[in-house]
Amino acid sequence: MWLLALLTFREAWRKKVVLVAGVLTLFFLILYGTGLHFILGDIVHQDPVAGSFFDMMEAILLFSMGVYLASFMVAGLAILAAAGSIAGEIENGTLYPLAVRPLLRRDLLLGKFFGLAAMLLTYAALFFLSMAGLIYWQTGLVVPGLLPALCLFILKPMVILSVTILGTTKFTTLGSGVFAFGLYILSVVGGMMEQIGALLGSTVIVYLGVVTNLVMPADAVYRRLVATVIDRIPAGNGHDFSFFNPQQILGPFGSQSTPSDWMLVYTLFYAVFMLTVAVNIFKKRDI
Amino acid sequence: MAIIEVKNITKIYGQQAACSDISFSVEEGQIFGFLGPNGAGKSTLAKILVGLVYPTCGEAEVAGYSPQDIKSRRQVGFLPENFRLHGWLKGEELVSFHARLAGLDGKIAKKRACEVLELVGLSWEGQKLVANYSKGMQQRLGLAVALVGDPKVIFLDEPTSALDPLGRRQVREILLTLKEAGKTVFLNSHLLSEVEQVCDRVAIINRGRVIADGPLDELQAGSATLSIRLNGLTEELAVELRRYYPELQLEGDRLTITLGSREETADLVTMLMTGGCRIYEVTPGRNSLEDIYIYLLKEGK
Repeated sequence: MWLLALLTFREAWRKKVVLVAGVLTLFFLILYGTGLHFILGDIVHQDPVAGSFFDMMEAILLFSMGVYLASFMVAGLAILAAAGSIAGEIENGTLYPLAVRPLLRRDLLLGKFFGLAAMLLTYAALFFLSMAGLIYWQTGLVVPGLLPALCLFILKPMVILSVTILGTTKFTTLGSGVFAFGLYILSVVGGMMEQIGALLGSTVIVYLGVVTNLVMPADAVYRRLVATVIDRIPAGNGHDFSFFNPQQILGPFGSQSTPSDWMLVYTLFYAVFMLTVAVNIFKKRDI
Repeated sequence: MAIIEVKNITKIYGQQAACSDISFSVEEGQIFGFLGPNGAGKSTLAKILVGLVYPTCGEAEVAGYSPQDIKSRRQVGFLPENFRLHGWLKGEELVSFHARLAGLDGKIAKKRACEVLELVGLSWEGQKLVANYSKGMQQRLGLAVALVGDPKVIFLDEPTSALDPLGRRQVREILLTLKEAGKTVFLNSHLLSEVEQVCDRVAIINRGRVIADGPLDELQAGSATLSIRLNGLTEELAVELRRYYPELQLEGDRLTITLGSREETADLVTMLMTGGCRIYEVTPGRNSLEDIYIYLLKEGK
């Protein structure tokens, strides 16, 4: 299994998947950093104490929105890298020599999963820390709850990866891509509806969002990440800023309706369940 | 001892049967030719025997184990028909990687990779990226990958389809070397002349069913022709012979006759000698594999 994981990781590296993603990410970071510099530099506050608090809030809000966009890129990479990992290799015939080796189909599939997971974890972690680094560079602020937020940021592509791996064992490359991307979009739309429902006080819409996140809990992980960061913002240094709700300012990008710890546990089980189903399908599949 | 045992294997895709009730066995150390037209079910059966495809019903054993069993996979090498190898790896890296998957340790795997690359004539190309290999080189590399685990049974699905005549000859030599080393080779091929040159036993499949199976010599025997050089054949004897053998041909001193079976040769020779003929030469004719193949497919037997 580990030999295959290594092969998959090296394949992503040698085929320049990481390089292309890295260059595009660099452009994103340059754009993001430039935006941060000018947006934060243009705001002038009368009260220095309140000003520093609002600067921090603005930085956190911009960070949260950056994370939202970054998680799209990471999700895209997860889907594109994994959609053909089994289906594509069957279609082009590269899986035959591997599948007749003395290793279980489970190990073959999990080897591919772990190889892709290692690549995605590295990419996502570097991406997240680069954004947090830009925030620190521009504002001197260490993003609150950096470590748990990082863990949540890298959990999201793992969930998407497990769904894509399930798709690739069952469908064609295109089919598995559409399957995973469709579920991801469903999750994002459901998550947005949930937040809007929470802002409007509509329980029905909130529940609708919760149900879609049970079908695919990727967006719930992002919402939890935002809540993790914002909930750890220090109090207003003697000033009362209770009138100011950063989640409201973030609107549909925020976490008005925050996923519970149980939702996180569910997300972990969901990823494991998807992989288990994928292994069972792959075991019985004709290659 | 049978190293491949196939019992009533059937594979149905949707409404179509790729293999229907196929049974045969292959003895250890043989080169077994599996022949048939496109879409006859050859590749499906090979994939069933290496554990890539599950049969709808029936059983198979390779080296004493079910094809899905890891223990069977340790004994098996496979060169598929439509395959591709990871083009981003170098040839030697790829074969070493497969050697490690087959259970060899790092240094031994590398050594073994060099050995099989030399065997298939790619020892100088090992440092090239596989993507830069020609089609024929990739086919040889595929063969090296199939052989790297030192398998007891090697399944080759059209191994010479992309090779030039020299490459084909080289593969034939490799097959004979493997046979000498006691390996069993299961060879799917369209190239009947090649099969004829190397195989001990042959099965012919059409529309998912085996229509002939047996040692190559026996298949080629059948209704044999006999060429006899003689003199003293009288008109009366020739007429009598034509009653038994209507396809008899007489050209000068050479009589060509088609027998029902080779067993009739002795009776024929006795009849000729009793009739006063002097016999100088009796040459048994052989049916080519191509003749048999075409005949069986046309007959739809």
